[in-house]
Amino acid sequence: MKLLSKITLYTTLSKTVIVLLFIWLLPGIVKDVTSQYTNHNLQEQKKKVLDNIQKRGIDYYFEGDSSYGSYTLLKEEFIALESSNGHAPVDTIFTDSRIVENDTLTYRLLDYTFEYKNKNYLLEIGKTVSTIDQYNRPLQKVALYTLAGLIFFTLILDLLFTRLLLRPLNLIITSKILNRKFPFKETISPVKTSTTDFKYLDQSLTNLASKIKETFEKEREFTSNASHELMTPISILQNKMENVMMDQELSETSREKVVSMLTILNRLKKIVRSLLLISRIENDQYVKTDQIKPYVLLEEVVNELKDRIELRKIRIVQSLSHSIVLTRVNRDLIFQLIYNLINNAIRYNQEEGEIEITDQIIQGKSYIIHIKDAGIGIPAHELETIFDRFKKAGRKADEGYGLGLSIVKSIAQYHDIRIAVQSQYGKGSTFSIHFPYGN
Amino acid sequence: MNVLIVEDEKSMALEMEFFLKKAGYLCDLAFTGKQARQIMSDHPFDFILLDLGLPDLDGLEVLKDAKKNCPEASYIILTARGDLEDRIKGLDLGADDYLPKPFSLLELQSRMQAISRRKSGLNDSVAPLGDFIIDLNKRMVLFNGEEIELSRREFDLLSYLMLHKNRPLTRAQLSDHVWGDFSDDDYDSNFIDVHIKNIRKKMMAFASVDWLQTVRGTGYKIKI
Repeated sequence: MKLLSKITLYTTLSKTVIVLLFIWLLPGIVKDVTSQYTNHNLQEQKKKVLDNIQKRGIDYYFEGDSSYGSYTLLKEEFIALESSNGHAPVDTIFTDSRIVENDTLTYRLLDYTFEYKNKNYLLEIGKTVSTIDQYNRPLQKVALYTLAGLIFFTLILDLLFTRLLLRPLNLIITSKILNRKFPFKETISPVKTSTTDFKYLDQSLTNLASKIKETFEKEREFTSNASHELMTPISILQNKMENVMMDQELSETSREKVVSMLTILNRLKKIVRSLLLISRIENDQYVKTDQIKPYVLLEEVVNELKDRIELRKIRIVQSLSHSIVLTRVNRDLIFQLIYNLINNAIRYNQEEGEIEITDQIIQGKSYIIHIKDAGIGIPAHELETIFDRFKKAGRKADEGYGLGLSIVKSIAQYHDIRIAVQSQYGKGSTFSIHFPYGN
Repeated sequence: MNVLIVEDEKSMALEMEFFLKKAGYLCDLAFTGKQARQIMSDHPFDFILLDLGLPDLDGLEVLKDAKKNCPEASYIILTARGDLEDRIKGLDLGADDYLPKPFSLLELQSRMQAISRRKSGLNDSVAPLGDFIIDLNKRMVLFNGEEIELSRREFDLLSYLMLHKNRPLTRAQLSDHVWGDFSDDDYDSNFIDVHIKNIRKKMMAFASVDWLQTVRGTGYKIKI
């Protein structure tokens, strides 16, 4: 999952949880707050009454009577004061029902006993519960809507900001990682960002790529230079040996020695030539402007290898489509690629074996040529290294020098061709050439 | 035949000279581009073997000038650079052939002879080979006017041995000539044996092929 999706998911979920938690807690909180507030209110009123009694005397309320009662028009609130003899002293707040003028209503009540001029009195102040609760619902609603609105607003803001924040990261990933091809030849300008972490990441990736590029260039240059420098001495040696061979006086043993030296030199020459070819491909020294018909090229390759095919009595079965045209390739290199693969298929085949060459189109994606031999096959653990230079899969030491497939790999890489290998040890191998095709 | 060898690597030039002299050519040497220009203006040549990697001048420039001064000479470009572009440019500028280093002196001689044959017409392209006649231009081997069917590679082998008659050639030299860049070492030297066997079989049906000899520990030669 992408970081942005994760953050989006997390933010949305966490905020939803907060809203749900709030919805769950809100009635309790509101009830608690209003009850506290009512209690406080009742206490205030009690204080006022006591104050009045202190200042103006109890008769301010009693006006000659032995009790006092007053209530508001709709009986939401009332105050009752009476003398209480033998009443246990109380000072509580509780909920209970009272009958006021034939109406039974539930009140929040404050009962308080006090002494005034050696006489005991009981004060009761009440407030209907329904008045207390009447603001609960709208209050809850308003609180809920406000919260939901705020959370929604911050959510949008968070997501927009996260998107903005992570934009450089996306740019880094697409420009520095996804859309780059080894060996990172093109330089890419740094991604603009004020986030130091991203800056650091971007810088590190750029440095890493340029280091890889540098190392690769050095290796390439070395291969190219070394091969060039080796060619001249090899050339001189070869010519000197050829001249020695011409000497009529030369004894048979000496000549045989020179011949074997020439053979070894030949081996050296082939290695250096192959390395040069690989370095030239890696140096982009071939233009990719040719158009080829694979079946024509295959026929040419088979024709070129006719002797070997006939001498080993190998049967070639091919069924390539005649209508496929591959563009933007280097003909000579593709020829060499197919040549090397067919040559291997002949070389590692059984006497009188078969080579089957078929093709396949994956619409809008690739054109695949399968080259299947009935040869010795490649053991599974060696499959990964067969394209590496100088690695040779369990062959005799003097058979080839492991560069044929390296050349294939270089040519393939140069053309964005993927080569897949399937092999069963002892039964044969199938090399599949995936040409990009159809875009 | 006069040959000018333009090659900055002295020991290389000397080997070429040694070989070509034995093959009957008259050789001059030039180790720099300037030297080459000097010698070319002195007297004409039949062949100019030109290394492109000269220390003082661009080989291709030397070739351009030389073509003006010695238009009748045949040019073979020798280079260790081996770039495709050099090859194309060289041939565009009128070089007759191109040999990437390292090359076999035998190959050099055979290329020179091929150019001579091409330039001189048919006359010296036909030669006796035992009781047979080999026509290098038409690529045919005849016995009493009847053509012997040889495959392309079989003819290549036979004609190469013929060009270097009386000299033993190694299997590597033969496979290098026949397969060039695509030659595949030991793997191909076995094929050389098979090819020679086939050539012998095909020709023995007409007459003796004793002239096609196996040289123990070396390879093959045509002795006539």
